[in-house]
Order: sequence, then C-alpha cells, then structure tokens
Amino acid sequence: MSTAKIAVVQIPGVNCEYETTRALASVGLSARIVRWNEPASVWSEFDGYVIPGGFAFQDRVRAGAIAAKLPAVDRIAAEAESGKPVLGICNGAQLLVEAGLVPGFHQGRVEMALAPNAAPRRAGYLCRWVWLRASPGPGSPWYADSVPPDEVIPMPIAHGEGRFLTADPEVRERIQKEGLVLYRYVAPGGERADRYPFDPNGAMLEAAGITNQAGNILAFMPHPERASWLRQVPLELKNVWGQRRRDAVGRWDALEGPGPGRILFQSLAKRLRLHAAQEARP
Amino acid sequence: MSAVLLVRLKITDLSAWTALTTGRRLVAPGYSLNRIAREQLLLFTPEPGIKAESFERALGEAVRHSNFFVNPNKESYRLLTSAERGESWTPPEGAWGILSRPREDTRDERLRESLLREHPMPGLLAIRRAKVWWLWTRGPDGTPATAYFSGALGELRDQKHGLLVNPHAEAALILTGALAWSRVERFLTDPAPAFRAAA
Repeated sequence: MSTAKIAVVQIPGVNCEYETTRALASVGLSARIVRWNEPASVWSEFDGYVIPGGFAFQDRVRAGAIAAKLPAVDRIAAEAESGKPVLGICNGAQLLVEAGLVPGFHQGRVEMALAPNAAPRRAGYLCRWVWLRASPGPGSPWYADSVPPDEVIPMPIAHGEGRFLTADPEVRERIQKEGLVLYRYVAPGGERADRYPFDPNGAMLEAAGITNQAGNILAFMPHPERASWLRQVPLELKNVWGQRRRDAVGRWDALEGPGPGRILFQSLAKRLRLHAAQEARP
Repeated sequence: MSAVLLVRLKITDLSAWTALTTGRRLVAPGYSLNRIAREQLLLFTPEPGIKAESFERALGEAVRHSNFFVNPNKESYRLLTSAERGESWTPPEGAWGILSRPREDTRDERLRESLLREHPMPGLLAIRRAKVWWLWTRGPDGTPATAYFSGALGELRDQKHGLLVNPHAEAALILTGALAWSRVERFLTDPAPAFRAAA
C-alpha cells in the first residue's frame, strides 16, 4: 500500500508550510509543499490538501479573500468534490470560508465569514493556548477519529479574524443540526466556553472548526502543527498535557513525543490508509 | 450633526492595489476597472441635545497632534466638522463608492475611552467606524456601469462574484452620487439591514 500524498499549499504570505509538512510526515503521510501557481495537472496527483496558516497576500481586503480567488483553489475544490480531504488551518480556514467551500450547503455560495475577534472588551490579534473538544459529525472520521471520548485538547491559536459568523439564520441552524461544528472551544474541564478566555473570539456555536456536509473539508482556526510535539506544549498548562510536558523536562526522547495537535493529523492519516486499503481491494 | 474624519494611506495602499488587480480578473470583457481607493471613515456623534461644535476643537487638536487617528508619515486625512461638511457627501470626481460597516454595532468604545482619557471632549457620545471603497469604472456603453460592478466586486456571493464586502460580517451602501450625510449617519447608527441570501 502506497503512502498517501498530501499537498501543502504554498500561497504568497502563508508562513506555516514547513512545520505543517513536518507534522504530516510525523504521522506517516508523504507531504510536499506545492506552490499556488503550479500547472493545473499537478493538483490531481495528491490524495489530500492542507492549506496552512499565515497571511496569504498579507490579508489584503480581508483574510483569505484574495487567495480564495486563485485558480489553484478551483482545482482543489474539484478534487474535494471527489471526496479528497482538504484541511484549512487558520488562514487556510479563512480561505475555505471565503471560497464558499465550508459549510457548502449551496455549492460555491459563500455562507459564512471569519470576522474580527470580538470577545467582550477584547479585540484584535490574539495568540494563546485554548481548549477544544470534538463533537460527533460528518467530519469525525476524517479529523477526529483518533480523539479519545471526552478528551479536552489544548492547542494554540494565533489570529485576528477567527470568529465564525453567518448572517443567515438558516445556515446557522443547519450547521448546528447537521453536526458540522467538529471542534468547539471549551473550558479546561470540558464545560461550555461561555466567556473569555475559554471562548477566545466570540465565534458562533463556540466553533473552532467547521466542516462541509461530507466532512472531508475542515476549516480549523487553531494550529495543530504548532502542538504536534510534546516540546511545543507550555510547561504551565494545567492538564494532563502540561503534566506530560513537565515530566519530560530533561528527557530529549520524551520531548520529541507526540503533542496534542498530532491527534488531528493521526485521524487524517488513519482515514487515508483505510481509504487506500478499500481502494486496493480486488 | 456629527463630525466626520476620513483617513487614507498616502503611501501605496496595497489592499486597494490588490483589490484592483483581483477585481480586473473578475469582470467581463468590455468592462474596465481603472482605479480603486480606500478610506477609513470615523463618525463622531454628539450626545443628544449637544452640538458637535462642543468637542470639534479638541477633536481637531487630537487628530493633528496625537496618534489616535492618523499617522502623518503614512496617512492623509480630511476632518469634516459639522459646519464644514455640507448637506451631502459627494464621491471623488469620476468615482462611485461602496461604504461598508460591520453588521454589528459600529461603535468603537475602546477608542472613545482611550481618547477621552487623554483629550476630554465634552458631549462626545460615540465614535463609529466604516470603510469606503472608491471605484473608477467604465462599462461597454461608456457609463460607470455601477450596477454591474457592484455585483461583480461588491458583496461576496461565491468564488467568482463579489470581493470587497463579506455580507455575513458587513453591510454595504452604494454611493453613486451625492448622498445626504443624514443617510450616511443612519446607515452607521441604525441596525444593519437584514441579510438577504443570494438567489
């Protein structure tokens, strides 16, 4: 069985392509950085796509607005139609929303925004660790299959425009009803994030990650690639991950162990392996 | 009547430039998008019964001598006091505009509070924010083809239509000619118009 190939899409201004590639490789995926202006034929060679974080086109006009118009996004959208996974991390999530790929109730129509952060009396760019919990939905097999039940996952965020928002009440209702909020911000104990800092940006439904209806496209605001190794976890984190990190001090091998963000990439790798095995069956 | 501050970059506005180059790819042959400029609009609203003149002098000093609103190395501005601004707002010559505001409350309370800490301005009730995109366009018939261009470049509908305004977060008002300031004020102070899903 061949290793699944993932394209990490390099758009001018993104800046997380290298760590994203490493995080994908750490779970056995064959990841390659692919420039946005590669010939159209290149995109179909891959089994999945990750659009990394950063500031594509310097966030000019709006975060993700210009990158969403690229021909490469058309190609990736066409590949996603056939069921291939597309993960947008932070700026990548903003691009997917601006391109109308998430939630995608009406094909191609833009149904959401990633609006400026708006926690009470807090605005602007925010860089901190948050707590997440996965909820069952169509995206679970792709991006949350390796998450133990009730696990509270710490992960870093770094964004100024991370507030999932729709002005269409029907879209909001369907997102909730159809379980498209795959990851939610929660309090450290797993309770509802009803205030800052647990709800860091005022997103509707406390959403940190929303999928399309098929579940194969995920717009995810936190940065799992910045939490894929135990050494990346802050020492002061108050849960089992913080304890693991403190226990690993001075032990290089332990520090190179998996961090909480890897769980998302593990789920993706598992699903792709399963898919390849099914394809290989006579 | 409120006072209005319009701020624009005097260095190259890369957002406007990129909107221009991206916008040109979104319009049909025969339509030309010649130029885009962008201004930030701040509306200074007086308390009920108070005239804006009561704080305008202090406001002018704050605009000229502080960094609250303008970086003179990078930006130019026009402060339109209640007496000077006239009855209506006229687009620059040959242009029309897309005025956009957040769907939520347009007030910037943090800015007002920090401003008042340093520069007392009796009677200043609120500072509201909006943004205007000025467009110089021409359709096949030689007119600005405002309706076509506002559909092609205004509110975002899908990957091929719309650019400057995401209607899930922002509301927009088209300025095709002189528009009464009272209408602009209402657009900024009233709740945003209800969202209409694209057909």
